[in-house]
Amino acid sequence: MNPQATLSGAFLQSAGSTLPDALKTMRQQRATALADMPVPTRKTENWKYSSRHLQLDDSLAGTLVGGSSNTAFHNGDAYRVVIRNGQLDLDASELPDVSGVEVLAFRNLEDADAAQLAERLDNTLDSKAVQFARLNSARFEDGLLIRLAKNAVLDKPLFVFCENGGDKAGSAYPRIYVEAGQHSQLTLVEEYTSVGEAQALVNTVTEFSLADGANITSVRLTIEGQQTQHIGATAARLQANARFESHCVGFGGPLRRHDLRVCLEGKGAECKLNGVAVTQGQQHLDNHTVIEHVAPHCESEESYRNIAADKSHAVFNGRIHIHPDAQKSNANMSNKNLLLSTGAEIDTKPELEIYADDVKCAHGATVGQLDEESLFYLVSRGIDRKEAGTLLSMAFINELIEQIPVEPVRDAAHARLVRFIEQSFEGA
Amino acid sequence: MLSIKNLHASVEGKEILKGINLEIKAGEVHAIMGPNGSGKSTLSQVLAGNDAFEVTSGEVTLNGENLLELETEERAREGVFLAFQYPVEIPGVSNIQFLRTAVNSMRKHKGEPEMSAVEFMKLARETSKQVDLNPDFLKRGVNEGFSGGEKKRNEIMQALLLQPKLAILDETDSGLDIDALKVVADGVNALRAQDRAILMVTHYQRLLDHIVPDYVHVLAGGKIIKSGGKELALELEERGYGWLGIDEDAAK
Repeated sequence: MNPQATLSGAFLQSAGSTLPDALKTMRQQRATALADMPVPTRKTENWKYSSRHLQLDDSLAGTLVGGSSNTAFHNGDAYRVVIRNGQLDLDASELPDVSGVEVLAFRNLEDADAAQLAERLDNTLDSKAVQFARLNSARFEDGLLIRLAKNAVLDKPLFVFCENGGDKAGSAYPRIYVEAGQHSQLTLVEEYTSVGEAQALVNTVTEFSLADGANITSVRLTIEGQQTQHIGATAARLQANARFESHCVGFGGPLRRHDLRVCLEGKGAECKLNGVAVTQGQQHLDNHTVIEHVAPHCESEESYRNIAADKSHAVFNGRIHIHPDAQKSNANMSNKNLLLSTGAEIDTKPELEIYADDVKCAHGATVGQLDEESLFYLVSRGIDRKEAGTLLSMAFINELIEQIPVEPVRDAAHARLVRFIEQSFEGA
Repeated sequence: MLSIKNLHASVEGKEILKGINLEIKAGEVHAIMGPNGSGKSTLSQVLAGNDAFEVTSGEVTLNGENLLELETEERAREGVFLAFQYPVEIPGVSNIQFLRTAVNSMRKHKGEPEMSAVEFMKLARETSKQVDLNPDFLKRGVNEGFSGGEKKRNEIMQALLLQPKLAILDETDSGLDIDALKVVADGVNALRAQDRAILMVTHYQRLLDHIVPDYVHVLAGGKIIKSGGKELALELEERGYGWLGIDEDAAK
């Protein structure tokens, strides 16, 4: 690819959609501003390791349609929203009827609400850092808006099933915006899956705006097919004493990229970010996280772990930025990596930028292999190597999986990880 | 049952075992004693199949089957069990999960149905009492935060669960106080059976007060230099290794 290339104009043609005018206008403005967006190359710092896996052929520019699905969305005791190729499927959804909680489709918003949303979309993002979030803003055709009034509590988790794929190549732009009022509370589970066989680009943006004391738990699973490139962004802005907890579980693909940005803007805000990623074969997965400590007395705790097998490649880039006024910040970041084969590659880069003098910051990154002594101990008890390797690999990530607060998601993620890792040891 | 003929083994190019010959029949308990560095632990590890050690020549058979051709896990399934001198801690894998996986691997090998979690929990609880381990240990990570004595008891518990044909106990007495030593010895004595051979590797004689061996061998400089009955252990305790012409310091 020509290193000077800008995004093909084909990606900036929004399909007609039923969005309210205010959102259509906003989208058009974003598209215009994007016209000269350079496609990331090896020289683009935040895409250094992933640009060569990025495939932006014009055939992917059109919106994905079709991709018949018989998926039964089981989610136990929870509410449900189904988003197919970026469009909310309200018939397949099971919306909450809880006072102070609104779950709405962008396309159904009243004009005033749409105008307000158009003002707010993108306001959690650092658009320079997440190029592809801008593309989503130029292309989304519908979206999920969740509004929680002051003190509103959603009693059960809300599952968002994002299913993408089509009969022919294309892209989808799922969009979620959560507006959490003071002391409101929500657990949101996003699950990204694929249908169909056609090549797909899935470009997501999920934004959380947390007022004082709001408390949000976000769980994000990407378990898409090998025909799907996934480029997602999640961003949260926290006012005073708000709390944001995130659990990401990612399975490898031709390209899996997730940018997570948390901005601690109000005094006493805190976040906890956990991530687990597994790759095998030729897969590539890249997690970029940024935590902005803007206000004093905020806390962040981050732990990401990767397991890379075969010739796969996993990337972690974690940045903590302590602003000058953010005294008494407490930030802790850890990234641990496990290589299951000599052909696998992990690149990890913790970055601390500190402009305040009274802070506690710690970061650490490790890359290792399975412990030979532990492996010998297990096989000396008759356990075969595949099972022993799987047990030890799961031991490496279990601590994080166990913290996923929604039981059916935790169990399903665990079972899926075991199957994935077993495959990594097959024929090894 | 176990037949070792002229076994030579080295680690990182250095020869440690220099021609071991040993025959152990079913039902017998043998003790191998010797100063530090004589090759006792190497022998245990080689028998279990640790590929950090290279067997350069010789033959080892278990009931006529060539052990040296088998992978570690295959040896275990054929009935070889090594109680480690230093059992490894594996945080993140629970003891109960580990034990059940091991037992079910053996059962699968023998064509027996796997044990359910509930069924196995019952068995594991009973067995843990036999070695005086609190059943709470089952929920913890494998050997994680266990004291030296608890680790050794956990090893014996595994032997009781896996019911091996050949149990090799590598310095199972080291680091144990007298009460723990008795518990471990009771466990080992419970393993004694007509169809099972036990090979104890030890530096000290005191374990042999509690587990009385049928034969005692002295290993020094990578070879067995003397064999005898249980009285040989007492003699070693009294006289040390010097009378056998072993310089303990030089052996290290």
